[in-house]
Amino acid sequence: MLKGMFVGAGALLGSSMWPNFAQASTPKASHGALKRVIFFLQNQGFDPVTCIPLGMKNSGSLAGAKLPEPIQALEPYKERLHIINGLHGLHTSPSHSAFFGALGGYRGSDGVPPSGPTIDYELSKFLPETLLPHLCIGMDSMENMTAKPTVANLSASGAGQPIFMHSNPNHLYQMLFGGISEGDIRKQHQARSNMFDRIEKLAAAKGGALPSGDKQRYGQYVQGFQDINGLRERLSGVSEHLRRFAPKVDERYTRPEFETDWHDVLLDLGIAALKSGTTSVLTIGSGRGEIFGAWKGLGVTEQGHNLGHMKQPDNPIWVKIRQYNMRMLVKLMQELESVPEGSGTMMDNTLIVYTSNNADAQHTSGKTWPVMLLGSGNGAFKTGRFTQLDGSRPINALYTSILRSAGVDCDRFNMSEKMAKKFDSGTGPLKEILV
Amino acid sequence: MIGWIFTFLVAVATLIALEGRAADTYTPGDAIHGKFNKVARPFLVKYCLDCHDNETKKGDLSLEDLGPVDEINAATWKSIWAQVALREMPPKKKTQPQVIERLRFSDWIVGELQSAMKDKGGFYAHLDPQKGNFLEHDLLFGPLPKDIKLAPSSSPARIWRVTPQEHITRLNELINTEPEYNAEKPGLRTRGDAVPTNHGGELKLYFGVDNILQWQGGTVAYATSVKSVPVVLSSSRKVGFENYADFQSVNSAEATQILGMAKDILKFMADGPLSLVQFPEQITDDPKTYDKVKPAGDLRGLPSAIVYSTKVLRPLTPVRDLMKGQGVNDERLSAAVAYLFEALTFRPPTAKESADYLAIVKDSIGQVGKDDGVIMGLSAIFLDRDALFRPELVSGGKPDAYGRVMLQDWELGLSVNHALRYLKPDQALRQSIIEGRMRTRADVDREVTRMLGDDSIRKPRILQFFREFFDYDLAGYICKDTAALAKTGVSNRGESYYRAMFDATASDDRLVEIILEEDKDVLKQLLTTRKVVTTKNDEIYFGRKRTPEEVKAAAAAKRAEDAERRKRDLAELNALGAELAALKAKLEDAALDKKTKEALEREARRLEARRDRIEKDAKQKRSDVNLDVAPAKLEGEPTYARVGHRSFGAGSMKPERILATAPVGERLGILTHPAWLVSQSDAMDNHAIHRGKWIRERLLGGGIPDVPITVDAMLPDEPQHTLRERMRVTQEKYCWTCHQKMDPLGLPFEMYNHAGLFRTTELDKPVNAAGEIIDSGDPKLDGPVNNALEMIEKLAASERVEQVFVRHAFRFWMGRNETLNDAPVLQAAWHAYRDNGGSMKALIKSLVISDAFLYRRIERGDVAKATAP
Repeated sequence: MLKGMFVGAGALLGSSMWPNFAQASTPKASHGALKRVIFFLQNQGFDPVTCIPLGMKNSGSLAGAKLPEPIQALEPYKERLHIINGLHGLHTSPSHSAFFGALGGYRGSDGVPPSGPTIDYELSKFLPETLLPHLCIGMDSMENMTAKPTVANLSASGAGQPIFMHSNPNHLYQMLFGGISEGDIRKQHQARSNMFDRIEKLAAAKGGALPSGDKQRYGQYVQGFQDINGLRERLSGVSEHLRRFAPKVDERYTRPEFETDWHDVLLDLGIAALKSGTTSVLTIGSGRGEIFGAWKGLGVTEQGHNLGHMKQPDNPIWVKIRQYNMRMLVKLMQELESVPEGSGTMMDNTLIVYTSNNADAQHTSGKTWPVMLLGSGNGAFKTGRFTQLDGSRPINALYTSILRSAGVDCDRFNMSEKMAKKFDSGTGPLKEILV
Repeated sequence: MIGWIFTFLVAVATLIALEGRAADTYTPGDAIHGKFNKVARPFLVKYCLDCHDNETKKGDLSLEDLGPVDEINAATWKSIWAQVALREMPPKKKTQPQVIERLRFSDWIVGELQSAMKDKGGFYAHLDPQKGNFLEHDLLFGPLPKDIKLAPSSSPARIWRVTPQEHITRLNELINTEPEYNAEKPGLRTRGDAVPTNHGGELKLYFGVDNILQWQGGTVAYATSVKSVPVVLSSSRKVGFENYADFQSVNSAEATQILGMAKDILKFMADGPLSLVQFPEQITDDPKTYDKVKPAGDLRGLPSAIVYSTKVLRPLTPVRDLMKGQGVNDERLSAAVAYLFEALTFRPPTAKESADYLAIVKDSIGQVGKDDGVIMGLSAIFLDRDALFRPELVSGGKPDAYGRVMLQDWELGLSVNHALRYLKPDQALRQSIIEGRMRTRADVDREVTRMLGDDSIRKPRILQFFREFFDYDLAGYICKDTAALAKTGVSNRGESYYRAMFDATASDDRLVEIILEEDKDVLKQLLTTRKVVTTKNDEIYFGRKRTPEEVKAAAAAKRAEDAERRKRDLAELNALGAELAALKAKLEDAALDKKTKEALEREARRLEARRDRIEKDAKQKRSDVNLDVAPAKLEGEPTYARVGHRSFGAGSMKPERILATAPVGERLGILTHPAWLVSQSDAMDNHAIHRGKWIRERLLGGGIPDVPITVDAMLPDEPQHTLRERMRVTQEKYCWTCHQKMDPLGLPFEMYNHAGLFRTTELDKPVNAAGEIIDSGDPKLDGPVNNALEMIEKLAASERVEQVFVRHAFRFWMGRNETLNDAPVLQAAWHAYRDNGGSMKALIKSLVISDAFLYRRIERGDVAKATAP
């Protein structure tokens, strides 16, 4: 089932951008140099003690510092790491997860609909054109991923417009690589393609007799199917190109032993979408923005809510989960490094944002919201540093900074001047993190 | 061929009729042709350039060099249109254009803007409900200049997208069985009502929750474990009317997500809760049997944490028959297609539609087998045009001399149904349509009268009108600053304020329904009733914020009371201690027989429990009392409100309410209820400007031009000053022209704080709730008022306010702004309302049997196209 969120895909399907892969990431006029962004949100909070080098109280270089055990895997990548502590999310109500508010920078809570677009979606509109501008994947317990293969908790394209994340790698594979698949996946893909073609024809036929005033509005609806079919066709049209990046479907897809098997292959699919130039924004929700989740594959027998009630520092369970996250981040970096782009590699033009949808802890006021950035986004972001902020600027300021690096001229993201008076001591991007 | 010739002749006749009108008459809706120099320039010279030439340049605006409308000067022209249409300009002391002159000029601007902006995002401002009042009220309800010739009323032929609420309610019908109407407990959720939002205000479709017998964990674990899907169709508007016919479409993201939902829905239709569980043992009427086999460990938040009953609570449909039966055959396939098509589009499929969908399902089955193929194929129906849009196209109908065609059969039946309901037509209406008895005004009258007269036929759209008209349903979405909230006197702990606001919306929904049941002076009642539907929490929200002196006095009284109680408690505890000691001494006697010993032990346990309770109560009472607020005394008959009970576990949102009376001199109607007041507030304070705008637009029928982009619309941040004091900045000359229409109407509500509590002081000084009705259009209304209650009483007695209310009802039910041609429809509707003692039913009926509702106009361009060889 095509459950993807082809947000704005139709509007972005420029014929000149494909199949010439080398130009797949041609920036739009006036764009910044940033070409892609990855958001990785681990649920249950991100305790700053688990990422700030011991004894480091003030901002400074990470060069001589030793990274704490949970994030030690980043030690070789320290020069491209920026640990930021002291942003706040007081206005996002992050206790038990800020849900859409984590990436939206507004009040979120269980059951509260998004009140505006989230930063990942917003960026997908401005970053260089891709076939599928924004892809969201969600990692959870095996049960939840099978029973509810799509949920929407973290990303949104606007007020009341949640974006679904994919949790069943078989469905996601079919969406991305159905055109080059074989066997059952191929059959499903073909059947779905036929159905969509038929729906498009039926929809178009019923639009024939409409009054001129409604034609445009109805046209959007028909265009929607054309977008879906167009995306599929374009993906098929570049199947040889995609074949180079498509992961091999193995038993982890069809007969996973643990949920982490699916987490791993979901990540592989996300990486493939980035490397093939299919998407420019990837959002990964480990725990899918809620306060549950499971990591049995890591030997963590506890699951769900209890994980959030534990202190994270020096907790072997949390060390395992965090180390698992870090291995994923390293894999993302290595894979993106393996693809040349311009005079460097894909990673050079990428920014990875690692944080939690719960600020620093499961039960928190959001007074501090630790974030780690990886990559310089083509030289836009300072790296190799720890920055301690004074807690007076909101996560929205970080998002403003990223938008700026993508060439968007804005001083605030999702924050009115009135709110800013209360929640933001400054304006514009975080000068501490931008070059 | 004959039909085509007829259509062509009618179209020609229409064109001749339209073109043949005398040049000096004005017919609303006719395009005003003419070049800038001929039409607009003379108007500007005559009425504008005195002040807005290059020399005087009043307000820093010169129109002297303004040329024909184009993309560059469109914003200036839009502003001129607003000023002229609203009769703001020329200023009152200057020579005024004749009515027709003004109408022609403003029509010309709209036409030119539409054409100039055609490929640049278009120009739609005149179609926006917030601009509905740009049409002068007195022209609609007063005498018209003799040279204005009205055309018969009609609405454009169109398609109208279903709302998110309608869509979810439609899908909900496929998988959940809602309770039937219970006349003993009106207000409880009933089949046909809209699906309420959940505990956090999100609109979601829930699967199988009525079957849930047991789950592990608390409310958050429940919310995560259960299967739910958020609404997919979006609505870009929150304030005012959300759903005009020309507002929304469906985009590709929504289409793909609808398919995802379709798969889940179809699986649930086939298998029920079995489609949701990890283990078949989760479906049992004895949860203990599952306890024995369920996985060890913490299951909170997982689907396997839930036990579902075996009761079949979902509707059993031909889709299930198809999926459950062996193999497939045409009969079962067709039945499933027909059932699903009608459930989603509200009408049976045509033969072609049946054949098309049957072919899709068969093809899918052929490719991927029965199970997947049926689901894949049937999903396509969820995306049928008529499952997402309701057509009012009158195709094939014969236009009258004015190019109008009356809706017929299914289009008419579904329009009438949609006027009131979210469910598909009931059996009686369906039969009428099928048997050709939905073709005349009398047919519509018959069906509407029947539906309006039967409370068991739920009519959520009427309630939706009141939600959108009053805008009392936004309160739970107003994000409050925690510290600012604490100062209002209500609890700012956790989500309690937000829950209270969603409860308050549901309570006011119920109050609207109670007033609609009486159907007498509906608007006046809503504006002035002291009846309130309340929860226990509302004793605080409908309470009075104490003055600092009163808080001190209350604290002293509380201390005295606590001391007295503590004294009593201590005395009782001492007595209990002594009794216990005596008992224990007795128990040490080894000679006690077993029976006596047991009796003494029982008594000791009783005394210990009593002791524990006293200690616990003492602690509890101390922390629970809110000294900042004098609670309202709310007593009355029990009633019920419709709340979303499915999201957070049984009992998390309670429907029980009381129909009470609000304290005298403190509240009067919905505009003084926390739900409305908070809906018109912001994070930190009241929003007197929004409140004033609401009164100006929704009750007085006035219009406010858009805020000029040059205005930095911010009040100073001065926590030591009251809102009224901070609003001094709006009184600067440049701002006051518009703000005088709003501020003096909003400031009377300063008698409440921004959580909706009544107050007599603000920042330790007596609260000033004075205001004024200025230039309302009805001289009897104009003048100062001391507070909101006084203002509301004046407004509620006004004929003009009643007429403005009718204008809003027209907009809601027609899905568009009124034009001058609709004046007879509006007048008839107002008379129907008034002559029937303020009956909403009479008003709705009058609207639904009007030409504006029944007739669709095929645009002249479309007629020409339709008739072209």
